[in-house]
Amino acid sequence: MYYAHAGHWLTGIAYFVPVIAFLVWLGVTQIKDRRGGSGS
Amino acid sequence: LILFAHAGGLLGRADLPIPEWLFGWAAAMVLFVSFVALAVLWPEPRLERNRWRPLPGGVGRVIASRPVEIICGLLGVALLGVVVYTGFRGTQSPAANFAPTFVFVNWWVGLVPLSVLFGDVFRAFNPWRAIGRGLGWTAARVVRGGLPAPLRYPERLGHWPAAAGVFAFVALELVKSEGDKPETIAIATLVYSAATFVAMALYGVEAWCERGEAYSVYFNLFSRISPWETRDGELGLRPPLSGLAHFKAGAGTAPLLAVMIGSVSFDGAGEAPIWTGIAPDISRFFQDRGLSPEPAFELTFLVGLSAAIGIVYGFYRLGILGARGVGGGFSAERLARAFAHSLVPIALVYVMAHYLTYLLIRGQAILFLSSDPLGHGSDLFGTATKQIDYGVIGSEATWYWQVGFVIAGHVAGLTLAHDRALAMYTDAKQAIRSQYWMLAVMVGFTSLALWLLSQANT
Repeated sequence: MYYAHAGHWLTGIAYFVPVIAFLVWLGVTQIKDRRGGSGS
Repeated sequence: LILFAHAGGLLGRADLPIPEWLFGWAAAMVLFVSFVALAVLWPEPRLERNRWRPLPGGVGRVIASRPVEIICGLLGVALLGVVVYTGFRGTQSPAANFAPTFVFVNWWVGLVPLSVLFGDVFRAFNPWRAIGRGLGWTAARVVRGGLPAPLRYPERLGHWPAAAGVFAFVALELVKSEGDKPETIAIATLVYSAATFVAMALYGVEAWCERGEAYSVYFNLFSRISPWETRDGELGLRPPLSGLAHFKAGAGTAPLLAVMIGSVSFDGAGEAPIWTGIAPDISRFFQDRGLSPEPAFELTFLVGLSAAIGIVYGFYRLGILGARGVGGGFSAERLARAFAHSLVPIALVYVMAHYLTYLLIRGQAILFLSSDPLGHGSDLFGTATKQIDYGVIGSEATWYWQVGFVIAGHVAGLTLAHDRALAMYTDAKQAIRSQYWMLAVMVGFTSLALWLLSQANT
């Protein structure tokens, strides 16, 4: 049943791609900044 | 519950040139561009400035005068009376009785755009404030030595009573079985009125209306988007949104806004497979533990509503934690309160986008219900035979209006947060970096809003 609805789920997830991508970028940037800060 | 909840899908899916989810991406792009534009073109706080000018020719004094205030208050009291009377005495069919349509559609939803367009309309018509002030005025003249001074409103209460009041209202609308039954509405109105008068007697009418009275706080928040403001008994103009910049957030403000956004989200998600798929399982879980089907059903919806509010609040706190991480020395609580006002335009567009067709279509029913408020066949104003025009807005136009509302509201929220950050942080670069997280919050709420609308349109 879950596989049959895969298209529906994928469409739902598509709405959230921009925020997921942005959060990942933010998280990576912040971690890099912290590492850079502790390194210096 | 059936008639008045899940109102987003009164019209079917629009025939659109691109998939609906692409509108979500486009909306996110608009937010990213707006963010860059704000960073470049808005270098210092503007909304925080205290700008206001009275209307010319003394018009503002007339509009905000005591006689006008008394007339509006009396109208509000009369409407409160009509709701209670029709609730008890009228037909118990929700669609044929004045009370449910007036309370859930024309008042709860309809007053939101009116507050944005014309300012704090509800304050003028607030029946509880009018009765409280009237009783206070009378008692001060009857009681020897005057009334004792009210207690000081406890800071720790903040907007928590308002949050609880709004939660109770949305629970009546979305959780309670037969919550739209006229008699239930009349009883709830009387219970709320009694609680409000006790609180007003303890803390004073104005103090309670400003912080604790759920509907005063709810509609006042939306009215702060508008350019209209009354100061010292005179109506005047201020820059749009600046009323929010001067709003004093306190304990419970962010949870109140989470209730406002989360309840609309839950109403939208109520039609989504994600909820319709798991709701029966949750209900069965409660029934397996001895609950009969109706309480199990109500508890299931209470869990869903609470979860939606929790998710909205959690996402906001996530953004605040991220903003705290960029430095500046502010506590998470301080940041959560400082940026809470930026959620108000989002709450507005959630209401407007989700309930647009509900208001425009179902709201017309007040025309014939006013003539036959009890549903007994009367025709007081000659409008009892009027019918709802379902063609007032098309499905495609609805979708474009909804997307437009969602984008405009989130850009407004972004602007408020940007302005506040500039006022708080001494380093402009740090202010901008803190707003990366608020941008993520705004993009997240935009995506959620459009996804919910797509579910309602299915």
